[in-house]
Amino acid sequence: MSNKELYSPEGLRLDGRRWNELKSFTCKVNTHQTSSDGSSYVQQGNTKVMCKVNGPLEPKSKANSNNNNASITVNLNIASFSPVERRKRPKSDRRIKEMMTILEKTFSETVITKLYPRTQIIVDCYVLSQDGGILSAVANSVTLALIDAGIAMYDFVSSINVGLYNNSIPILDLNHLEEGDMSFLTLGIVGKSEKLAMMLLEEKIPFDKLETLLGIGISGAQRIKDLMDEELRKHGKLLISTAAS
Amino acid sequence: MSTVIPKKRLASGLTVTQKVFVRSRNGGATKVVSEHYLRDDIPCYSKACTRCPEIVKPDANNQYPNFVLSDSPVYAEKYGHHYVVLDTNIVLLAIDLLENKDAFCDVIVPQTVLEEVRNRSFPIYTRLRALCKSDEKRFAVFHNEFSEDTFVSRLLNETINDRNDRAIRRCCDYFQKHLNQHRDKKVKQINVVFVCNDKKNRDAAAGAGIMADSLVDYVTNLPNGEDLLDFVPNMEDGPSFSHKKETKFPDYYTTARLMGGIKNGTLYQGSINISSYNFLEGTISVPSFKKPLIIMGRENLNRSFNGDQVVVELLPKSKWKTPSNEIVEEENMDANDNAEDGDSPNEIISDKERLFLLKEAQKASSEESSTRIQPTAKIVGITKRSWRFYVGQISENSVAKDSRTSNAARNCFVILMDRSLPKIRIRTRKAGELLGQRIVVAVDSWPSTSKYPEGHFVKSLGAIESVQAETEALLLEHSVEYKPFSKKVLECLPKEGHDWKVPTKLDGDEFIKKRKDFRDKLVCSIDPPGCVDIDDALHAKQLPDGNWEVGVHIADVTNFVKPNTPLDAEGAYRGTSVYLVDKRIDMLPELLGTDLCSLKPYVDRFAFSVIWTLDNDANIIDTNFHKSIIRSREAFSYERAQLRIDDASQQDDLTKGMRALLDLSIKLKQQRLDAGALNLASPEVKVHMDSETADPGEVEIKKLLATNSLVEEFMLLANISVAKKIYDAFPQTAMLRRHAAPPATNFEVLNEMLRVRKNMSISLDSSKALADSLDRCVDPQDPYFNTLLRIMATRCMMAAEYFPSGMFSYGEFRHYGLASEIYTHFTSPIRRYCDVVAHRQLAAAIGYESLDFSHRDKDKMELICKNINKRHRNAQFAGRASIEYYVGQVMKNNNNDTQEGYIIKVFSNGIVVLVPKFGIEGLIKLEVLGDANSAKFDDENFSLSFKDQNGDAKTISVFEHVNVQIKSVLDPATSKRKAQLVLV
Amino acid sequence: MVKLAGLSLNEQEFLTDSLKQGIRSDGRSLDQFRDVEITLGDQPGYVDVRLGKTRVAVRVSGSITKPYEDRPFEGIFTISTEIGPIAGAFFENGRPSDEEVLVSRLIEKAIKRSGALDVEGLCIVAGDKCWNIRADIHFMDFDGGFIDASCIGVITALQHFSRPEVTVSGEQVVVYSTDEREPVKLSILHVPICVTFALFNPKEKEENIKGGADGNEEAGEFAIVDATMKEEGLSNGTLTITMNKNKEICQISKSGGLPAEGLMVMDCANKAYGIVEKLTDQIKEVLKQ
Repeated sequence: MSNKELYSPEGLRLDGRRWNELKSFTCKVNTHQTSSDGSSYVQQGNTKVMCKVNGPLEPKSKANSNNNNASITVNLNIASFSPVERRKRPKSDRRIKEMMTILEKTFSETVITKLYPRTQIIVDCYVLSQDGGILSAVANSVTLALIDAGIAMYDFVSSINVGLYNNSIPILDLNHLEEGDMSFLTLGIVGKSEKLAMMLLEEKIPFDKLETLLGIGISGAQRIKDLMDEELRKHGKLLISTAAS
Repeated sequence: MSTVIPKKRLASGLTVTQKVFVRSRNGGATKVVSEHYLRDDIPCYSKACTRCPEIVKPDANNQYPNFVLSDSPVYAEKYGHHYVVLDTNIVLLAIDLLENKDAFCDVIVPQTVLEEVRNRSFPIYTRLRALCKSDEKRFAVFHNEFSEDTFVSRLLNETINDRNDRAIRRCCDYFQKHLNQHRDKKVKQINVVFVCNDKKNRDAAAGAGIMADSLVDYVTNLPNGEDLLDFVPNMEDGPSFSHKKETKFPDYYTTARLMGGIKNGTLYQGSINISSYNFLEGTISVPSFKKPLIIMGRENLNRSFNGDQVVVELLPKSKWKTPSNEIVEEENMDANDNAEDGDSPNEIISDKERLFLLKEAQKASSEESSTRIQPTAKIVGITKRSWRFYVGQISENSVAKDSRTSNAARNCFVILMDRSLPKIRIRTRKAGELLGQRIVVAVDSWPSTSKYPEGHFVKSLGAIESVQAETEALLLEHSVEYKPFSKKVLECLPKEGHDWKVPTKLDGDEFIKKRKDFRDKLVCSIDPPGCVDIDDALHAKQLPDGNWEVGVHIADVTNFVKPNTPLDAEGAYRGTSVYLVDKRIDMLPELLGTDLCSLKPYVDRFAFSVIWTLDNDANIIDTNFHKSIIRSREAFSYERAQLRIDDASQQDDLTKGMRALLDLSIKLKQQRLDAGALNLASPEVKVHMDSETADPGEVEIKKLLATNSLVEEFMLLANISVAKKIYDAFPQTAMLRRHAAPPATNFEVLNEMLRVRKNMSISLDSSKALADSLDRCVDPQDPYFNTLLRIMATRCMMAAEYFPSGMFSYGEFRHYGLASEIYTHFTSPIRRYCDVVAHRQLAAAIGYESLDFSHRDKDKMELICKNINKRHRNAQFAGRASIEYYVGQVMKNNNNDTQEGYIIKVFSNGIVVLVPKFGIEGLIKLEVLGDANSAKFDDENFSLSFKDQNGDAKTISVFEHVNVQIKSVLDPATSKRKAQLVLV
Repeated sequence: MVKLAGLSLNEQEFLTDSLKQGIRSDGRSLDQFRDVEITLGDQPGYVDVRLGKTRVAVRVSGSITKPYEDRPFEGIFTISTEIGPIAGAFFENGRPSDEEVLVSRLIEKAIKRSGALDVEGLCIVAGDKCWNIRADIHFMDFDGGFIDASCIGVITALQHFSRPEVTVSGEQVVVYSTDEREPVKLSILHVPICVTFALFNPKEKEENIKGGADGNEEAGEFAIVDATMKEEGLSNGTLTITMNKNKEICQISKSGGLPAEGLMVMDCANKAYGIVEKLTDQIKEVLKQ
């Protein structure tokens, strides 16, 4: 797809955004009231992700039982119709397994697991449509679903990716064409802090650009956090108003 | 797409919509949906605007956009002060005009146009982008697709082209209204003019109240229009870019048809040779025709590579042509091709090319009576590809600057160093990194639907112009095997290594017993300074009867290189050592070449000796061949030998012997010249290396001393003697070397030039006649003329070749240049494989050992000869290329030298000039010489008249002496440093 | 990375306390890498790496196959890992555990994805024949630092290996035995080195996330280089940075674990670069022999 300018000298990207603009972000909580304890739906551009949380519950097997903490299990399903060209990814695909492990490890640190010893929290995520930044979208949806389920957390985990165009210009929140053409860093931060809960860089970048990318990524993630917070408060108000009436 | 695509307004002031299109690839169709954001902050970039400076946003480096469009743009009566909006076809066809600094300032390029240009031709897109960067030209890109005000959705049943046209018109309309509304009121009215060559589009624009004109009309209406009109390409209703034709190369015939055709004589087979001046013209020599067949045009050449074994079919006589006298380079023809067009075949024959072919056809028909018309053919099959690894570099134009760091795989063109070969399309992920490097590519296929062959990246040799990369490149280009010798080969060497010694006991085995002990002879060697692989040594002694005993002793390589060993196989494969300016690639491992075989002074060495008895007039009385043991007394350089001979105080026997050798050699030479040996010339030069920095210092023409010719004469004599002996012993398989008489046709052009320009001629009746006539061609005004003529005559000669004696009848053995009936190579077995075979055959002929089967079998000998002929030729080319590279580096340091040159070739659009000082020749194109339109080419008189840069009429013709300024420039296409010559 | 195997609470507390004071049980400083011992095998492509008690054997081999259909111009490079009980009692045979998947993905990203091996140069005939270079990593003994050791092993083995010479003339492909023609080294574009940090949080989780009680106090988290097995078990997650001598970051992976300040990550990356420089030189030295 190199017959388009990824980033024009006039400062516009393929889809008309500027370097530091997010894709259109919408989210909903409590989408699956009956089938789960907490649920959410996140849409970042054309990336669409759904998440359900069940738990805390009695662990299904002994292996998932820990005397001090709750254990978190994340399942990730990527629909075969989600990419541009239909492709089935087996669940045992190493990339999917890696993402699941990253999510489990990230949320084990941010959920206050010591409050739920000897229990299991099961998180199921579904990727319905892909247009870049799947891992970020999934992480954001897990945060929302966990909050919806009423599970105690230290703070939000909000995530975003940021790419480096031409080894010089940082670009926030990539779509899939951009992801295919540049190195990018996916990061997740905790709450309003600048603390990195997860961080993943898979292709080469010059060392001296790392700081810039981190800075822009962190501020982008904070904006995502604000958007999620806004939606949650709206949902909360709605709940109160329905309860009152 | 008929579905109405929803738009959604976001809090951040953006509106998001979806772009849906169907992408077809590999036969399947995929629906692609991507987001498309519309914004309200895209500025108009006009200095006259009062609104836009308020809304702009900074980029990642906190830079605000530059408002480039002037507030008082150019004025024309018809349009007032105005900005220009360009249509796609204008950019594609008239980019040269747009780059003119006197017109087209303050131009708006809609994004729609920019994207269309990028898809059509990447190089033109790059030029357009360069215009947008330039401060003087004031081009602005307006992202109409992303602006809320100008975005248009595709309507039901609307073609994409119509939709884009509408988008561009909408953009014009927006600009006009925007300027009217937000223009600083102090500034005069500014109009927008839409320049478009599509009448339908113009009409629609006029209907919408937009000022629109065709390019010609627009330029005519400009104040300086008169001057510019010349530059306007004629294209009203001309070729349209909107629909590409799907053409392809003709398919090859089936194997059965090819076989049948060759058998019954309707098809001909041969090796194609593509002209180095014109990549669209090839020739092929077949026995059935006296003149080579011409193959002209891409379609007739039908995907062949230079050197392929092809099958051709003759075209009807009406299509026969004369050889072109125009220089045609691929880079000029196809500079604007897009590498990414991999999936959709574009036109194989471009319009430019059609024009060229048409011109050739007209020329042929107008000269119907002329004798220069040659049979013309087309290629219908390729029996054997000559594909190998090729060295080249990625074409700068084919890689987008902005994507050079990305890891995605992309197509790009590789321009090969060999100009007679086409560009190769490769797919790589490292295009950015590989730019500016010499790379090796392999060719995989050339499908009939693709204009270019497809290949893949093999490896990188290093930065262009670095010594290491260039050396490796030229070795690869000439298929010189330069890798270190393998373990198996090295195992064949004597275990003792450098400690190996000639046995002291001479009655050891039966072979040693057969050797003659010549250690008492006063043998010495004479070689170029610094020579370490000494093949030959000589001695002379007066016999009691007044005759001379003269011995030539050649390193006994076959004592170490036994047939059917890996060492022998490697030597046979390499065929020859290759000498570069700064490097030697050995045929045999160094241990043999520079030590065990080398006839070093003061040590015993095995040798193969030829001993003559010569009388005082250097007539041979007796010849003997012996395997021997010698001990060289001294290793001289040519200069030192000369000094020693000239020094009258030296009266020892060794010096006396050398003097005798010199005397005899002078007589031998005279005998040879009397028999008609040619004295030809080549513009060979030598590069001096600065010993400390290993930088090339200066260039000098090779000097010859009398001692050079001393050694040469005796080597020739030895070769001839050996040739006779081995032919005697092996009439069918003797390894010989012949040099055929040049066919008269080779000299036709040269003789014609001589007749017309100098009123001289050269005779081809015999080599003697040729030698004499060359001597007569002297121009008293120009002492160099004779040498020049010899250089040009050399190029008309046939190449000498190795052959087994059974391949020709005795009469055809003749070595034309040396005027000898029979000849072989015997005297340099360390660096030539032919000599190794000759040694073995001679050893067998004198009963020293039996001859291996491979040298007794005619077929095997033919294979050996074929290989060493090829290797020999390649080694020569590699050596020359190495000199060329270093000469280029020397010239880089003395740029802009003015030197004497001679015109050796005249084309209708350029001349070729030879500069003897550097041994280089260069092409000067007509455009550089002067006004191309005024030029007149007179092919009967080999002259070209034109108006030079100052407007003075000038006529130049072949053989003329000219002064040229030499500039060393990096050829942008091949990245080879070459001399650019300018007439002064 | 690995669950604590038989470490008593006392021992755990002792080790953590000493680390807080900047003392490690093996006497190293917090940002000191263990000495690496690289041994080349007799055959090209075999390398044995020891990092403290950790031992990894890497074998690179090559064969000719058909390239992947979607990448006809590229050769194939595969890295496979094998962790069995021989490396430690807590590793199981059979199905790869999540940990193993992470380890092998990381090595793959560090070396394969960063383009250390030039796969385009492995193509022989596009779409038909190419080299398949395979690196097998065997874990022989474990005391922390698997990723770092394997990465050193693989990149050294790739440089040590050489493949037989191949020529193509027309449609014919000829493979020469190593005696017949000098074998060809692989083209290695850069040398990535992994450095793994173990993260520690000496205080309560709340303080880590919300900052100190008054908001000004230093959070106090710290990272140590090249943790041993015990240290790894005690840590709150790891951070692996892969860099090369050209100051390029090839890969960063912080899969969950202790939330860390951006500054701390930058600090780790700086330390990693120092170690990368040293190790690159060491590998070069070893290969010179």
